[in-house]
Amino acid sequence: MDNPGKKHPLVNTEQPNLLGDIYPYDLPPLIRFSGPVVEYIDGKPVEFDFASVRDRNILITDTTFRDGQQARPPYTLDQMVRIYDLLSRLSGPNGIVRQTEFFLYTKNDREALDRCRALGHKYPECTGWIRAVKGDFRLVKEAGLKETGMLTSCSDYHIFQKLKFRSRAECLDSYCQVVEAALEAGVRPRCHLEDVTRADLDGFVLPFIDRLMDLSSQVPEDLTVKIRLCDTMGFGISFPGAELPRSIPKLIYKINRECGVPSNRLEWHGHNDFHKVHANAATAWLYGCDFVNTTVFGFGERTGNPPIEGAIFEYIALKGDLCGIDTMAITELAEYMRSIGLPIPDNYPFAGKAFNTTRAGIHADGLRRDEQIYNIFDTEKLLGRPPRVAITDKSGTDGIAHWINEFFGLKGKNRINKIKVHKLARWVIDQYDEHGRLTAISDQELEAKTKELLPEYWQKYKAEKK
Amino acid sequence: MATVEERVKKVTARILKLSPDQIKSEHSFTVDLGAESVQSIELVAMFEQEFGIEMDEDAALAVETVKKAADFITQVCKEQGVDLEK
Repeated sequence: MDNPGKKHPLVNTEQPNLLGDIYPYDLPPLIRFSGPVVEYIDGKPVEFDFASVRDRNILITDTTFRDGQQARPPYTLDQMVRIYDLLSRLSGPNGIVRQTEFFLYTKNDREALDRCRALGHKYPECTGWIRAVKGDFRLVKEAGLKETGMLTSCSDYHIFQKLKFRSRAECLDSYCQVVEAALEAGVRPRCHLEDVTRADLDGFVLPFIDRLMDLSSQVPEDLTVKIRLCDTMGFGISFPGAELPRSIPKLIYKINRECGVPSNRLEWHGHNDFHKVHANAATAWLYGCDFVNTTVFGFGERTGNPPIEGAIFEYIALKGDLCGIDTMAITELAEYMRSIGLPIPDNYPFAGKAFNTTRAGIHADGLRRDEQIYNIFDTEKLLGRPPRVAITDKSGTDGIAHWINEFFGLKGKNRINKIKVHKLARWVIDQYDEHGRLTAISDQELEAKTKELLPEYWQKYKAEKK
Repeated sequence: MATVEERVKKVTARILKLSPDQIKSEHSFTVDLGAESVQSIELVAMFEQEFGIEMDEDAALAVETVKKAADFITQVCKEQGVDLEK
């Protein structure tokens, strides 16, 4: 123990301290930092000032139509246009969701791009995605895109085992030839360093980036090469002290401060194979990547990518402001995705049907007294989703009273207390105790029973509204 | 005319499916008479109906014994102008 004798006296009060400066409720809980973080790199302490993220121009990018489509059957053109339209709403006028990328290989790919651009939205900007093959630039030029991602895999697993290069030098030269072709064509290349968390940093990645920086020094700023760090298998580790190549802090430091790639040309692309995907993306922001690459609800190859809605709320929490983001678009995206057959688990954060639904009676009691006790933030204001109570044998009369008040939309002193809902509570209990029911009770069933057992309230709050 | 406590016992017997003779003044609704959560709510609702009063939910549910319930209801009746002699 560092200070074993330290005493911690009670600070008595009769007024609760609800920590409103951290938990404002009308925003997601804010993320604050109390000082710099020190990471030991090559034996030397390096300071990172996370608080600076508030002033940095961090942004979100999207790959729903590229990596997101690798996880499912292709979207139809209409579906892509609708999703793009909602992404634009989510992004807001400041373009927080700055870019999204498109395949360019098929007629459908190109038509989808054209139709999305025809909507006339400024954000997200449309970029391409191609292999590191010279001939593919024709597609980018024909599409009239200013920027394209290109696959520049960098682990020996890919260089030798997949791409069958004879040496790293041959691979590096090949990649650089394609980058040069892009620059000559006036297209900004974004090199996707696939499998970077399994690559030889000193032996390949950093020399490759040095070459890219040399090439960038010969072109105007808007053509300079961007770097996407692709944690292809989800091996990245966020916490300090981890070793390269898995350490996200060290990876970014090396590329950002040793190779000199500025933060506004650095992007993180993760995968969720080890349940680290969102935390890793947020870590990349903090250590110096300005962009994190995401997909709608995390749909992506295998276990998926950083979910865009997670990045959105992290962004707001770090900035302390909505920054023009239309969070309601998340709920619309969820409804739309469900309508086209994409499953979103009921307990999925921010978008699942039951993400803010409590089943425990004791939690329902808390919700009934003050929704802030068991709701993460004002989900009704930010997502159009007030906290709910699912009715089962564990809900108790508190849960039923909460359901009734939400159903009738009653607030404050107009809320009905649990004494008044005793008939409905008895019916619910009997469903389980007397009839052996094993499933939750649906809203439709409760609605019908409310009309039957609480006719005076039904008449007052429902019938009158019609 | 039945006393408040006798009326409380009668309602309690009906809700908890007991004989009024089994219920004593000092009995706790939950510990001695076995009232479950929803039955406690039903008891308060039925007391309100029996005496024509409205009780504060938290205060009513905090009452533990039959005797205390009779006292609490008597007090509420007085506050709300309900004549217990009628």
